[in-house]
Amino acid sequence: MTELDTVIHAPARLRVVATLATLDATDEITFPRLQQLLDMTAGNLSTHLRKLEDAGYVRMSKTHSGRKPVTYLALTTPGRRAFEDYTATLTALLKGSGT
Amino acid sequence: MSHHPHDDQPGDAAGLAAADSLRIVREQQDRARSGLEPDGRLLCLLWGVAWLVGYLVLWAGARSSEGIPSGGAFIVFGGLLAAAVVVTIVHSVRRTAGTRGASRRAGNLWGGAWCIAFVAYPFIIGGLGRAGASDEVIGLASNALACMIVGIMYLTGAACFGDVSLYVLGTWIVLTGGIATVVGMPTTYLVMALLGGGGFLVITGVWQVVALRRGRQQRALRGARAAVGQDPRDD
Repeated sequence: MTELDTVIHAPARLRVVATLATLDATDEITFPRLQQLLDMTAGNLSTHLRKLEDAGYVRMSKTHSGRKPVTYLALTTPGRRAFEDYTATLTALLKGSGT
Repeated sequence: MSHHPHDDQPGDAAGLAAADSLRIVREQQDRARSGLEPDGRLLCLLWGVAWLVGYLVLWAGARSSEGIPSGGAFIVFGGLLAAAVVVTIVHSVRRTAGTRGASRRAGNLWGGAWCIAFVAYPFIIGGLGRAGASDEVIGLASNALACMIVGIMYLTGAACFGDVSLYVLGTWIVLTGGIATVVGMPTTYLVMALLGGGGFLVITGVWQVVALRRGRQQRALRGARAAVGQDPRDD
């Protein structure tokens, strides 16, 4: 069986990456909005985002809206590529196993 | 770091685990897209009802008072359109909140184009009146111009966002403007209600059928997986 990317191959992180992959390459989303789309706790989401950031798959940019700090998130180019490779591997696996 | 339970299993189990992961991706992406994009069905239904009811009121008013609808009819019509505008803006702003980038900018520019067109609109109609246009000409021109703006905005939106169904809707509204003008007053209002408002409602129905069919297919797929003992797992 082909090696799957272990950073992405965990349901919670897979959902995070899948959500970020729906954005266009130049688009970004705020932390609370991403949290809302995933229905995760802030702590849980932060933990998974840190792992994805450490792997170089997610980039965070911190800015301000008025006096309030805002964190924007997006997939990096390697992150998007890793997600595409991951889904391509799974699709090939499905075809291979005849299901 | 958690591991998927079927990581190291070859054959069918790996195939099913792969199917599970792909299902997680598909469901989450559907959820993300519907959470981030304005609901076309809701907006189309809203505008369909506003046009259908509003123009029927104008048509009824025009028939009962020698071609010109009463002030009350125009107030009902204006109130319905104003309500639809407010709901559309609030809904769209809420759905796209918390994002930034090229797509958001494109959406903002497109939304701005609607405002620009409808800011100029009353000046054009007013100018025709000052140049001596009759009530009938003003009635025809105001409906035709509204149809052209709305229809062409949908056509540009379709080109901008790659949405074919929006293109169909735009084509329909532009053609409705042509037909509504040719038939003359007060039938213009009836055409606007039935072809224009009705057009929105037909598109709403088509989108709803497509969405329901898609939901059914996904549920059937899930049911088939559950039948072979493959329950989705979460962290």
